Amino acid sequence: MISEQGVKDLLNTGGYIADDAIATAVFLALHMEKPILIEGPPGVGKTGLAKALSTALDFPLVRLQCYEGIDEGKALYDWEYGKQLLYTQLLRTQLDTYLSVSADLREAVERLSAEESLFFSKNFLVQRPILRSFLSEKRSLLLIDEIDRSDDEFEALLLECLSDFQVSIPELGVIEAKRKPLTILTSNGTRMISDALRRRCLYLYIGYPELEREVAIVRVKFPEICEDLARQMVSFLRKARDLNLRKPPSVSETLDWAQVLSILKATQLTPEIVANTVGVIAKHQTDLQKVTDLAAQELS
Amino acid sequence: MERIIAGFVADLRKSGIRVSPGESLDAVQALGFCGIHDRKSSRQILRLTLVKNVNDIPTFNEVFNRYFSRFQFVDPDTNLPDLMDAAITNMEGEFNYLDQLPGDDHDENGPLLKLDSDINPEDLAELKSLTEIDPDDTDGIEITVQMKGYRGKAKKAPRPTRRYTQNPLTIELNKSNSTQMGITFTPEEQIAMQDVVSRMMMRLRKDMKRMKNNQNRGKLHVIKTIQKNYRHDMVPFQVALRRKRREKPRLVVLCDVSFSVSHASRFMLLLLHTLHNQMLDVRSFIFNREVAEITEMLANMPVNDLMETIDMGDIIDLDENSSFGQVFLAFKKRYLENLRGRPAFIILGDARNNYDEANDWVLDEIREKARYMLWLTPEERDTWSRGDCLMDIYGSYCDKVEVVKTVEDLSLVVEDLLRDIYADRAHPIDRKRLLEAKAAEIYDSKDYYTRGTSGGAGSEPVFDPAGRSHW
Repeated sequence: MISEQGVKDLLNTGGYIADDAIATAVFLALHMEKPILIEGPPGVGKTGLAKALSTALDFPLVRLQCYEGIDEGKALYDWEYGKQLLYTQLLRTQLDTYLSVSADLREAVERLSAEESLFFSKNFLVQRPILRSFLSEKRSLLLIDEIDRSDDEFEALLLECLSDFQVSIPELGVIEAKRKPLTILTSNGTRMISDALRRRCLYLYIGYPELEREVAIVRVKFPEICEDLARQMVSFLRKARDLNLRKPPSVSETLDWAQVLSILKATQLTPEIVANTVGVIAKHQTDLQKVTDLAAQELS
Repeated sequence: MERIIAGFVADLRKSGIRVSPGESLDAVQALGFCGIHDRKSSRQILRLTLVKNVNDIPTFNEVFNRYFSRFQFVDPDTNLPDLMDAAITNMEGEFNYLDQLPGDDHDENGPLLKLDSDINPEDLAELKSLTEIDPDDTDGIEITVQMKGYRGKAKKAPRPTRRYTQNPLTIELNKSNSTQMGITFTPEEQIAMQDVVSRMMMRLRKDMKRMKNNQNRGKLHVIKTIQKNYRHDMVPFQVALRRKRREKPRLVVLCDVSFSVSHASRFMLLLLHTLHNQMLDVRSFIFNREVAEITEMLANMPVNDLMETIDMGDIIDLDENSSFGQVFLAFKKRYLENLRGRPAFIILGDARNNYDEANDWVLDEIREKARYMLWLTPEERDTWSRGDCLMDIYGSYCDKVEVVKTVEDLSLVVEDLLRDIYADRAHPIDRKRLLEAKAAEIYDSKDYYTRGTSGGAGSEPVFDPAGRSHW
């Protein structure tokens, strides 16, 4: 079993710079077999954490993207009607001989109903992400992304899956997880998630990282950017986050910007460079002006 | 140790954080897995397991700091749980002492400095750097902890600072508080508003979703049905229906921003700001003597900036006397032509016309365009007939006149309105069902009194229920 520090180191080598809170949460989730609910502003690496974990721990990633109107047919399981029909067609001759032995219609029905479970067996079950991760031979990582986009009904559906790691299928009974997957739920907070779901999870809030960690993130992803430039970029963006922008630049914007600057081979931030690349940081017309103003004020 | 956690959970509950027994079990289990190393990690573990909402994190930190105060140092070799139990029991006296001094945590060094204005800026900066010790840094020997507090986290040695002619600190301290004259919202107010609106949305959503689901159904979609039932050998087990195109309900709001009703109108604006884009297509206007559209600004500006702009009189002149007659005339001229889709109309104002021409015939024209007309006034009914108030004249054109005084009133009224709008466009079967439900509701005459005067609990009914809102 990995220790807390081990989790952190694993993530670090995988290119994800985690802080103590994240490492502790992952460590606890691994040991207590509880899902983690991650909230935070967009682009701070909620989904990134799941991806990094799946490669670092070598758990296959099973991803379920939530959207309005998602239901159990899309998330848990579905019956493969087409295959069922095809099989009945193909087995018709055999059915005929099988049933021809019976004396009357009543007996035929009885014989047939005795075999009914054939058609509602695992053969005809389509595994959707959650069931797939439950039935995976290897421990997997189940990522339920942007849970706040789904409806209340779907949230209620998840309760059973997340607390007991089992799926009830009326025709088959209860299917339990072979290996309980490491489950990560992410939410952007566009909708309040019910307390019932929160109670079943560990709650992790990922905010914007501290200066040092963000610099480290930039340096890991783009080693060609020198320490000074990374620090300058990050502190500039941190100021921009305080500007009350419509869409404050997040870590993903920092990384995009770092990539742009490394392509441009910039060594230092100047108001001109910011003005030329402002589209990477600010995503609204009103924000563009504010950011360029800030650059003129801070960097000249 | 279980006892300590249980006590801590009880404290959290007292501070308003809801923690279930299952969660406190999780906390104990988690501490068992990780072990207790230092304060910071223990706090993280407790926070991960006990707190399930961002907004609760500050409260949690506060309770944590109070409960696990910094005068306990434990040698990692000794038996931890027993020792901690003992320590907590010993601390009991101290907690009582803290309880007796509620203002205890307010003595920061800021206000003291302000009183003593003779202090020289260097010393002042030095004093200011004596930050409170972060409780998470209290692991270790007492003396190092104290040093950290004295020198700050950077562990810099105290050194003479340069003498500033304009020390930013003194400037900061001398800044008077009286500059904040305009009406803006404190974060608490905004949060309270968000809360009211989100609760309202919760209540509404359930009904609307059900209605919507039924509403969207139209005629049979032949092609989709065939496609869908391909797997069933074209036997139409599952039916696909055409969806009806639906638009958001439209709402037009005319909001008086003159001083007499400013407290009500600012909440109206905040409500609109929060509601905007959620489920409505709102066009908002503000008026005093002139009228101006602020839909765009409401959508694109932070609400406090907008309030300031309005208060400065940049959008419309606030020094003039308000005139409803003038405003209606101007509104008819400039906007009435291009109002489409039979919007619901809300007018917020006290109908005090300053003895100007009433021009109430305009309301008649607006009525023709509007699906529904609602007048919100912050004044009680018995003052309507006094002075220059034209409420009775204007009210006769409206479907409803409501008295609103608090945010809750406002949200209730708007909720009712939205329900009505949705019911109006609902499928006939749904509408029938809704109307039946409404009729079946037991009519409680108390509703009349509580609504509109909900500010003070148990206040006396001051107006006649029968004539209050329907003409």
